[in-house]
Amino acid sequence: MSGPASRGATPARAVAAPAVPLLAATVLATCAVAWAAVPMRGAHPGARPVLAVAVACAGLAILRLGAAMLASRSGAAFRETRLAARTRSALSALPWAQIMTVAVLALEALHPSRPWHTVSLGVVLLAFLLVLHLAESGARPAVLRPVLPLIAAGLALAALSAVAAALTASGGLVAVIAASAAVAVAVLALPV
Amino acid sequence: MLTADPERTVTVTWRLSGHARRLATLALAALFLALATKRAEFAGLAAPALLLLIPRRSALPPEISVGLAVEADQITEGERVAILAKITGQREATVLVRLRPEAWITAGAAALGADGWYRLPFLAQRWGSRLIGTLEVTLHDRWRLAEGRVTVTLPRIACLPRPARLESLIVLSKLPARLGEHAARAPGEGVEFAGVREFVPGDRQRRINWPATTRRGSLQLNTFAAERAQVTVIVLDVSMDLGPAGFSTADLAGRAAAGVAAGYLAARDRVGLISFGQQLRWLSPATGRRQAERIMAMIALDSPDGEPLGSVTRLPNAALPPGALIIVVSPLLNMRLIEALRELRERGFATIVVDVLSVEPDVGLRGRRNRAMARLARRIWRMEQAAIRFSLRELGIPVVSWDGMSSLDEPLAAYTRRALVNRP
Repeated sequence: MSGPASRGATPARAVAAPAVPLLAATVLATCAVAWAAVPMRGAHPGARPVLAVAVACAGLAILRLGAAMLASRSGAAFRETRLAARTRSALSALPWAQIMTVAVLALEALHPSRPWHTVSLGVVLLAFLLVLHLAESGARPAVLRPVLPLIAAGLALAALSAVAAALTASGGLVAVIAASAAVAVAVLALPV
Repeated sequence: MLTADPERTVTVTWRLSGHARRLATLALAALFLALATKRAEFAGLAAPALLLLIPRRSALPPEISVGLAVEADQITEGERVAILAKITGQREATVLVRLRPEAWITAGAAALGADGWYRLPFLAQRWGSRLIGTLEVTLHDRWRLAEGRVTVTLPRIACLPRPARLESLIVLSKLPARLGEHAARAPGEGVEFAGVREFVPGDRQRRINWPATTRRGSLQLNTFAAERAQVTVIVLDVSMDLGPAGFSTADLAGRAAAGVAAGYLAARDRVGLISFGQQLRWLSPATGRRQAERIMAMIALDSPDGEPLGSVTRLPNAALPPGALIIVVSPLLNMRLIEALRELRERGFATIVVDVLSVEPDVGLRGRRNRAMARLARRIWRMEQAAIRFSLRELGIPVVSWDGMSSLDEPLAAYTRRALVNRP
């Protein structure tokens, strides 16, 4: 055995270590849904069902992640009951995190234009997806170090688009196309 | 024992990883909403995800080599063993190995050893010769944007039944004249005290019972019981299987037969086996460790050898030495076997049946309308089963029930306390 527990770590720490990414993903998913939902007053009438979908998908995505982490623990499969295995399999049937992402974005779109709010939501969503990825793969946050410049560049572009949207308060297709083109150019121009 | 297969080269199928799919979803949904709502901030929201999705130069191997080894050729139910897998040729990709088990085994988490071999533990839960499952190898590039999958079919493995516990043995009243460990009724050279008799010239003086001699006034001699070996033949009926996997009648019958064989062979008796399955196969009675291995192999492994069950009218004489104890492990669902048992009893064999039927069959009638009919069908079936057991008891064949959970000593207790009379 070469797990953390066998190297002398306390059992409480050994148990808590895998729970940190799960907790972080839960907090970020909750923040993303709540941020996209508020304020409900003034939102499109279709926002309520979309909010329900987003909440359900966020819950299922977290449950799926928790079940997968529990199952991957050493020896857990030997103790897992048939019902637990079936539940885990049912939870993995659909990509809940992807559905949640679409639902949250749709919820944001059902509110009146608010550029900085939307960009902040994007930051939270991206953080949620990265934490989910780390939790699933069991990797440490250090693996993201090589892509940090890309993340920073992306966030800068998002901020620029928010500024553009705020300046052209009336919105319009030209601003959208300009922002999309800027994103595309930046993606293609960055050294790989 | 470690048995290794030669390494095989398998082609890797690459596709987008879950992480990449989620990022793509975020980017595409944001761009779509930007165009649909004419809001530029959504286009900016797609930027980080798109940047993270830029395909990077990563050496993705088109194929990898997989070496496999199994810790043991044969395992026993409830035993934990491991499949060993070595993956080579993955270049920079990280490897995740997982065992996708068949329903009869439970797989544990894989662990990478210092020697570069992945150890995939599993627990066998049902005896028989079965496939283990498949080995699923997942490869990820450095950025975890691409995911490669490889599936390798794992070999078949023989799992022996976990023998039921049997400590008290049924011993016949009349044992064949063969040296063994059971105290017979006849006097002999054993160690179990049988009684005292008058000394006759030629008797060994060291066996004189001096206290009895003093009391009676004439020389008295201790006598001892002879020690004989018993011949036991196990009839294993797996021709019909009923019940949930792991606790079906065939599962229970195999465990009971293995327990009986192990118990009698440990007492240095001669044990034979008649397997009443898809084919009729048998092993003549013998003793020793090799016989134990042969019996376990016959219970666990399917073999095309043997006599088709349809042509069997009686159990083979070669497998039934005179004076043998016949222990039948069966759910008593096969009428051909029941006829064979009646015929055995007529031939004077001492026979006892361990009944492993603990479930009722599905009568196949569903719905509220058929509920009464289903209840009636089950009742008729129960009455038929009771009648079969009653008819066997009337013939002098005891039938005891075993649930598969307890020790075999419990149902057989009534017959292990005293010698079973083997006369018709």
